Amino acid sequence: MSQTAAGIAAGVLAREIGAGARLIRWLEEGDPRGRDALATIYPHTGQAHLIGITGPPGAGKSTLTNALISEQRKRGRRVGVIAVDPSSPFSGGAVLGDRVRMQTHALDTGVFIRSMGTRGQLGGLSRATFDAILVQDAMGYDVVIVETVGVGQDELDIVSLAHSTVIVSVPGLGDEVQAIKAGLLEAGDLFVVNKADREGADALTRQLELMLHLREQTRPSDWTPPLVHTTALTGQGVATLTDELDRHLAMLKASGGFAACLKERNRHMFESLLQEQAARQILAAALAEPSAAQLISAVEQGDIDPYSAAAQLVGCISLKFS
Amino acid sequence: MTAFANRRLRVLLAKLGMDTHTIGVTVIAHALRDAGFEVIFTGLKQTAEMVANTAVQEDVDVIGVSSLSAAHMKHLPKLAEFLRQKGAGDKLLIAGGVVPLEDIAQLERAGVQKIFTMGTETKVIVDYLQTWWAAKLAAEQSGG
Ligand code: B12
Ligand SMILES: Nc1nc2c(ncn2[C@@H]2O[C@H](COP(=O)(O)OP(=O)(O)O)[C@@H](O)[C@H]2O)c(=O)[nH]1
Ligand SMILES: [Mg+2]
Repeated sequence: MSQTAAGIAAGVLAREIGAGARLIRWLEEGDPRGRDALATIYPHTGQAHLIGITGPPGAGKSTLTNALISEQRKRGRRVGVIAVDPSSPFSGGAVLGDRVRMQTHALDTGVFIRSMGTRGQLGGLSRATFDAILVQDAMGYDVVIVETVGVGQDELDIVSLAHSTVIVSVPGLGDEVQAIKAGLLEAGDLFVVNKADREGADALTRQLELMLHLREQTRPSDWTPPLVHTTALTGQGVATLTDELDRHLAMLKASGGFAACLKERNRHMFESLLQEQAARQILAAALAEPSAAQLISAVEQGDIDPYSAAAQLVGCISLKFS
Repeated sequence: MTAFANRRLRVLLAKLGMDTHTIGVTVIAHALRDAGFEVIFTGLKQTAEMVANTAVQEDVDVIGVSSLSAAHMKHLPKLAEFLRQKGAGDKLLIAGGVVPLEDIAQLERAGVQKIFTMGTETKVIVDYLQTWWAAKLAAEQSGG
């Protein structure tokens, strides 16, 4: 496998999984070759149906993703998956176990599953994940599924910027609907009650229906989010969920929502990059100011409060930018 | 030492065939996570080809197989061969578990680069991987 940006980009466009996997790694690690290769493949992105799946740990997201892959494959589509699990805040390491539930597809060349830790560096999780999505998109996967635990803001961004956001709930977590993180009820395009084989599914359904009814009243829209029951372990209900996903995609394409969604995602990525690069340059400029060293030691000594010191230094450089 | 900020060792841990002993592989997974590595677990009942495909998709640096049910001679050479076939022969293949000493030389010839038998302290395994990783990064920097 060629290790140049051009070689890897060519491999990605030729749909070689090894090349795609390597590019995702470069992008995640900030290897400069990643940026060059991404520029080459970028014109080939924007086609895939991006599905975000979120919900509390143990809800069955990975099992459901596995069943969704099977159903999408039955419908003749190639499927990419990005499975996000939390990294340890102490060591930065992680045990990524999502794909254990998806290994039935390990020999299927039409499926590319990639695990990611939340790491939380270099512009954050959302960028690394969006980069990985771009790679799978350019590789011609018809569907790209992103699974996240949905705890951090970054993760919320990822799923809510997908074309179709699936919120998974399960009976038996106590106050189930409360377990749907604020913001997700609004962001959800489809709602799933998984583990429908378990007791409590009906009560959960009634609660969710009520919440969705309230949402409809406060924020009417053309799309009424469907509520689907699944038993991910057996695949029960997953064909219906896929039908609803297809219907949502068709609606988005007909209404211009598909393009609008892509636009918003591109803009989000651009803004986060801009923020990061601008912040880095401004910081460098501020620290290069002649007064910087003196101010820093004054802050350390407690001679000046940090707020005033920061304002002073930014004041010095903002004169130059204006 | 690293070329860019976010470089991190990725390890695939795998169980092949009907071997359902999970304690050792779990201990190793946690030790590697705590050392700052990213560990991906395949789950049980994998074939050699499934593990090789997964190693490619995840672009791991290391594949570690845990084998306690006397099937190492059957699966490990096959896995090494699949890795080579799929262009992943440059990844480090290691194993652990119940492996008689007399099998080790043959496995090493087949491409398993290191075997950690029963009772190995996890620190020894972490140190080995850290040393290997540092050497790999150094080689990359000096013209790789
Ligand atoms: C606990 C145990 C079980 C439990 C497993 C529970 C579980 N969920 O894991 C149960 C009771 C289910 C079980 C079942 C069987 N077992 Co059993 N079992 C053991 C026992 C007593 C301990 C294994 C263990 O967990 N050790 C603790 C862990 C931490 O050690 P470890 O796995 O060796 O891992 C260390 C190293 O080997 C290394 N390592 C391990 N994996 C990896 C991977 C990598 C990448 C690296 C770097 C390092 C590494 O690092 C670890 C830390 O030092 C061993 C005997 C023994 N003393 O080892 C027998 C043993 C492994 N079992 C054996 C047998 C035969 C069986 C059965 C076939 C018994 C039967 N007739 O039913 C079944 C088979 C099940 C199956 N399909 O695989 C034999 C295997 C013989 C062989 N290989 O030739 C052993 C050796 C007992 C014996 N002396 O006969 N077993
Ligand atoms: N009874 C039942 N169990 C399920 C179902 N879906 C998943 N599970 C189990 O729930 C547990 C967590 O599943 P997993 O997919 O890992 O959840 P995740 O953390 O949301 O990804 C596993 O033990 C699954 O086997 C289901 O529909 N019914
Ligand atoms: Mg999961």
